[in-house]
Amino acid sequence: MTATLPATTRVVAAPARPSRLPVRAAQLVAGAVVLAALVHLRIGWSDLAALPGALGHYLVLMFAHPNWAKLPYALQQTWVSVQMAWVGALLGVVVSTILGIPAAQGVSPLWVRLPLRGLFAVLRAVPEVIIAIVILTVTGLTPFTGALALTIGGIGTHGKWTYETIEAVPTGTAEAVRAAGGSLLEVARWGLWPAAAPELMSLALYRFEINVRTSAILGLIGVGGVGDLLTGYTQYRQWDAVGVLVIVVVVVTMLIDAASGAIRRRIMGGARTRVVDRTV
Amino acid sequence: MTSLPVPRRPRSWPRVAAVVAVIAAITAVTVTPALGGIRVDLGAIARNWHYGAHHLAQMAQLDFSILPRTAKPLLETLEMAVVGAAVAAALALPLSLWAARPTNPGPSRRAVRAVLNVVRSVPDLVYATLLVAMVGVGALPGVLTLVLFDLGVVVKLVSEAIDSADSSYMEAGHAAGGTQTQINRLTAAPQAWPAYGSQVLYSLELNVRISAVLGLVGAGGIGRLIDEVRGFYRYGALAVIILEILVVVIAIEVASNVLRKRLR
Repeated sequence: MTATLPATTRVVAAPARPSRLPVRAAQLVAGAVVLAALVHLRIGWSDLAALPGALGHYLVLMFAHPNWAKLPYALQQTWVSVQMAWVGALLGVVVSTILGIPAAQGVSPLWVRLPLRGLFAVLRAVPEVIIAIVILTVTGLTPFTGALALTIGGIGTHGKWTYETIEAVPTGTAEAVRAAGGSLLEVARWGLWPAAAPELMSLALYRFEINVRTSAILGLIGVGGVGDLLTGYTQYRQWDAVGVLVIVVVVVTMLIDAASGAIRRRIMGGARTRVVDRTV
Repeated sequence: MTSLPVPRRPRSWPRVAAVVAVIAAITAVTVTPALGGIRVDLGAIARNWHYGAHHLAQMAQLDFSILPRTAKPLLETLEMAVVGAAVAAALALPLSLWAARPTNPGPSRRAVRAVLNVVRSVPDLVYATLLVAMVGVGALPGVLTLVLFDLGVVVKLVSEAIDSADSSYMEAGHAAGGTQTQINRLTAAPQAWPAYGSQVLYSLELNVRISAVLGLVGAGGIGRLIDEVRGFYRYGALAVIILEILVVVIAIEVASNVLRKRLR
């Protein structure tokens, strides 16, 4: 069709485009910061140019002929890591539930909430590896140390999620229970728990998924598990064994994620979905 | 007035009991050394708790003499975090469009998602350990680690945001005869922009946390200093460094929260 619209007699002036100046300025500042950081880091261009070759070389060393003889040992140590993750998640969730509920607004007064929230914030900032370094003077270089480090490290984030979840529960039911003469315990049982439980259980499983990843890291300081092996084989540059370990870690992590994810979807099934912007 | 029979309460206890039993069984296996479980040694805590308490007490005696030395490594940590987030952000936008159904109806979507699932399932310090062994000590393996880690997070969440975005704009683009590239550029990308910006800022926050420990395996930043003061048992200095990281992390978190509110 080539028919054109009849020319209008009066042209209404289009409104002026909103100013893009603040956005442009922000983009400029961000770009400048990135550029300055990049220049100041002084990453050698020759290193960068050699990078693809080096990566390819080591990937071939790792995965061309994986040393499958190491598989049973790798699986055994991975199992230790998973156990650390499970025990750490269980203890961590129990403690953070106990500490997280009083930290929620509307449950307890400010002088209880603030110290608890401060504690969570501090624990969030301390990496698990550092926590493990302090704990290992108590329980030694054992997987139990790893589990305790995961417990304490997990309290920071999980405590925060717990009070955020409880604060997000609509207050109507709790008020109804209170109006019907319910005690604090009954308010918690019938007003808060049914609404918060699915989310809390889902988060507990998510904590386990995160711990599976973190437990592999904790092995780097020697508390056992697959991270221990990985550091050892990497230092001795036994790349064929490292390849097997990486494959085991990836497969086990993905299997656990898939299983846990399926259970979480089942728990939250029918519930509203929302953008979860918390990932680790 | 007839009374209606009250429906029976649904029986939920068998399911609850089953769930509790499964959790108890897994826990029992994981804490029984005879079955290869880990040894929960409460006796050790009772015997040795004072060592830990002693270290905490040492940490409480803050040693501020380390402060001047932290400036450079801390700056390096922040620079690694910024560069890592920026490189990941540049790679993440096309990959997100590639990994989402509305913007890439073809079968190559699955391949991208599978690769990213694998990338995401390797822990950050494992990347750092391997990359340090591959390309040598320094900031480069650290930045690479952060890029890989951020890509996994950002592409997953942004492509999911595109998947659940309002599809009518893209349908309008199709109806107007646009090619997939035009539709992606003019309808999908603007819609994904807030989610993308928010995730990039979030990955910057995570980067600051992660890059603090990357130095432990030789990948640059303040972690190297942490490793050093730990080696000399300077726990007061260690506490100062941790506090410094805490301040920086909280500052970045606050700034990024403000920016993210603007994005929504």
